[in-house]
Amino acid sequence: MRHRHRRGHGSSQGRSMEDEQRLEEYLETLWYLQEEGRQELSHIKDAVGEAEASHLLLALMENRWVRVDGDRFCFEPEGAQKASQIVRRHRLAERLLHDVLDMGPDQVEEDACRFEHILSADATESICTFLGHPQTCPHGRPIPPGPCCQRFVKEVTPLVRPLADLNPGQQGTITFITPKFRSRLHQLSSLGVIPGTSVRLRQRHPTFVIQVGESTIAMDADLARNIFVRSQG
Amino acid sequence: MDHSILGEQGSMKKLLLVGNPNVGKSVLFSSLTGRYVTVSNYPGTTVEVSRGNARLLGRLWQVIDTPGVNNLLPHSEDERVTRDLLMEEGGHKVIQVADAKNLRRALLITLELAEMGLNQILVLNMEDEARDLGIQIDVHKLSEVLGIPVVTTVATRKKGLDRVIQSLEKMRVGSCTTSFAPEIEQAVADLEPLLPEAPISRRSLALMLLCGDETLSAWLNARVTERDVARIEQICRALQTKYEEPVAYVVNRQRLLKADQIVDQVMRKGIQEFPRRFQRIGDFSMHPIWGLPILLTVLFLIYLVVGRFGAGFLVDLIENEFFGQVLVPWTQKAAQLIPIAFLRDLLVGQYGLVTMALTYALAIVLPIVGTFFFAFGVLEDSGYMPRLAVLVNKAFKLVGLSGKAVLPLLLGLGCDTMATLTARILDTKRERILVTLLLALGVPCSAQLGVILGMLGGLSMGAVLIWAGVVMATMLLVGFLAARVLPGEEGAFVLEIPPMRVPQLRNVLVKTTARVEWYLKEAVPLFILATLILFILDRIGVLETLQSTFQPLVSSWLGLPQRTTEAFLIGFLRRDYGAAGLYSLSRQGELDPIQVLVSLVTITLFVPCVANLMMIFKERGWRTAVSIVLVVFPVAFGVGGLLNHVLRWTGWTP
Ligand SMILES: [Zn+2]
Ligand SMILES: [Zn+2]
Repeated sequence: MRHRHRRGHGSSQGRSMEDEQRLEEYLETLWYLQEEGRQELSHIKDAVGEAEASHLLLALMENRWVRVDGDRFCFEPEGAQKASQIVRRHRLAERLLHDVLDMGPDQVEEDACRFEHILSADATESICTFLGHPQTCPHGRPIPPGPCCQRFVKEVTPLVRPLADLNPGQQGTITFITPKFRSRLHQLSSLGVIPGTSVRLRQRHPTFVIQVGESTIAMDADLARNIFVRSQG
Repeated sequence: MDHSILGEQGSMKKLLLVGNPNVGKSVLFSSLTGRYVTVSNYPGTTVEVSRGNARLLGRLWQVIDTPGVNNLLPHSEDERVTRDLLMEEGGHKVIQVADAKNLRRALLITLELAEMGLNQILVLNMEDEARDLGIQIDVHKLSEVLGIPVVTTVATRKKGLDRVIQSLEKMRVGSCTTSFAPEIEQAVADLEPLLPEAPISRRSLALMLLCGDETLSAWLNARVTERDVARIEQICRALQTKYEEPVAYVVNRQRLLKADQIVDQVMRKGIQEFPRRFQRIGDFSMHPIWGLPILLTVLFLIYLVVGRFGAGFLVDLIENEFFGQVLVPWTQKAAQLIPIAFLRDLLVGQYGLVTMALTYALAIVLPIVGTFFFAFGVLEDSGYMPRLAVLVNKAFKLVGLSGKAVLPLLLGLGCDTMATLTARILDTKRERILVTLLLALGVPCSAQLGVILGMLGGLSMGAVLIWAGVVMATMLLVGFLAARVLPGEEGAFVLEIPPMRVPQLRNVLVKTTARVEWYLKEAVPLFILATLILFILDRIGVLETLQSTFQPLVSSWLGLPQRTTEAFLIGFLRRDYGAAGLYSLSRQGELDPIQVLVSLVTITLFVPCVANLMMIFKERGWRTAVSIVLVVFPVAFGVGGLLNHVLRWTGWTP
């Protein structure tokens, strides 16, 4: 999913505000191009048009956020930092609208564009925590992690996470199985897979395979995401 | 099904072997019983049950090898058959066979057998492997806790067999049972007085009902008044409302916790890694990269066995040497003695029973199908099939199926009718319909495949590729579209992967024989019937009328000679038979290369044969059967005609 921005929304505000927003949108556009591996200058022209492209590059280079190497652009550290935070706010907003307000992936786009310019750092962090530090937007694109996500990885992950998040070879003890697949619970328990049982993930592709005692069991990724384990490293 | 040897059937006690899948039950069964073993499908199912007689401790027993189960609270058809066998008649005894390495899961069944009130012993098989793993089980302690005899064996080396036989005398009902949460116990107490007398305890029946076992309802309705049935249902519903999870799951969990307690008392687990030779191969065959070359190797081996040995060597031997040199000439000579020309033609004419029906059935089809079932049996017994399911799971998702569907689809290469029945192993109705459709549409049975490859082989590699490509693309497209149209959700699949092992020849042969027998019973009468119908149609001139009726479709659209109508007609009676008809047409030089290709694509995609259609009707209902025909017929002729016009237009010669 590409996120293109019509220019000029929020135009009732003061000029400097509008300028800042435009710079943010420029950064965002380049971030998306970089994600797709389209880093040639011609790609910028394809994305925003000939006239706009030189505008965009000049403005970003003036701020030392982006430089040009031959026919490719790259982010300077400060620009990368700023761009990733904008994209992070955009995609977190999408998640919020999608997960909590139940809006479809097609509907969230426009509102998210507004959020990305107005969310404060604190608000972003609380939304991220509230949503459980999601890793992707509703369109499946990565959400750049913030400081709160890194803390979460260190402190909370060793406790409980989906079986599907283990790496091959890792072990865990099942803490609970969500009843989403009710019809599967009987079969799983007949195979000895119940809370309290220790499991080892053997492979993730092409299908999840787990080891429970001397039993080897294959299961769909969907099911592996609904079995939660306390990992043992 | 029971062929009594001595007529002692009435007094013969039954000995049931029960246990998890792949614990060596059938090996123990073979060592206990003599040579006379019958394998038959349990009535109304695809599940095979082996029976044999054994003289043990000076008395004759009927030994029954039940299908492997993980739980006696049935979830799969296998589990249901085993539970039903346990409920048949009273007074029989149970040998529970367990994998000593996997005591916990075996105890789940032990606890259920004790609850049923059945006399039993527990055999801990593969004791050597458990020891190699550093697992130590205190057998005396276990016997004490369970209240039944416990013995260890290594069935593959016949070690401990005498201990099993000796302990038959000391069989007892297990004393170790599970107590459940107060609400469940209360519901059991409420149910027990309402239940009829049965060979298994009322408590176990009550628990099955509470766990929502619907397979019992027919049995119950026949024995209990309508009012009591309603009360039983009400008690079950009331209990379920107290739990968020299914009661069956709650009960299983409590049993497993009890099993865990017992394991803690009697077992010490070591930490040695046991070097398992075939485990590595097993792991590689599920690997996203290595799995593919292994699959290709397996397919090539199947081709060698079925294509080269079966379809090549054996067919040659039987058709040319036996039928061509001996049977047909001899019958023809004998037929000269028959004064009536009509009867002579019926036997050895163009549509003769010997020249056509028997030759096709026994000389062409039987060797191919037989070798295919053998190869399939080897794959099944080695433990490769579930690994293949793991490998193809993601690809199958595209057409709305899970990897499990690979089993019926592969079996379809042996016989689509049998495979349609096997679609029952799939979890959702949607998947069963999809597989039935794909089987009917594009999976050629091995006999048909043999004939097709034989004809295409005479053309070029390009022709083979076009045929396979067109058929597979059509199946993919139809499956993809059907998956989008059919209601119902995709089931998340769970599949146990058995250990990889060297196939047991005896096992494979017994299964192959049972399947070939099934096939002959199914196919040969239809071959004869099909030939008779053709013979009569030909005599009364209807064949000609049919040919001219379908002439526009066959000649203009498909670009085929009129006589191919005949092949399509008998193709409906049996598809492999139809392909054989095309084969003889092309041998007579009546088909050019494009016509060969077009006719083969059309007949591969053509409507399922009568037997398969009847099976679809029986298994899926008439609506599905009719819809499948309505999809398949236009697709077959549409694709065939399209191919014809494209090939003629491009001017490509196969
Ligand atoms: Zn997005
Ligand atoms: Zn976070």
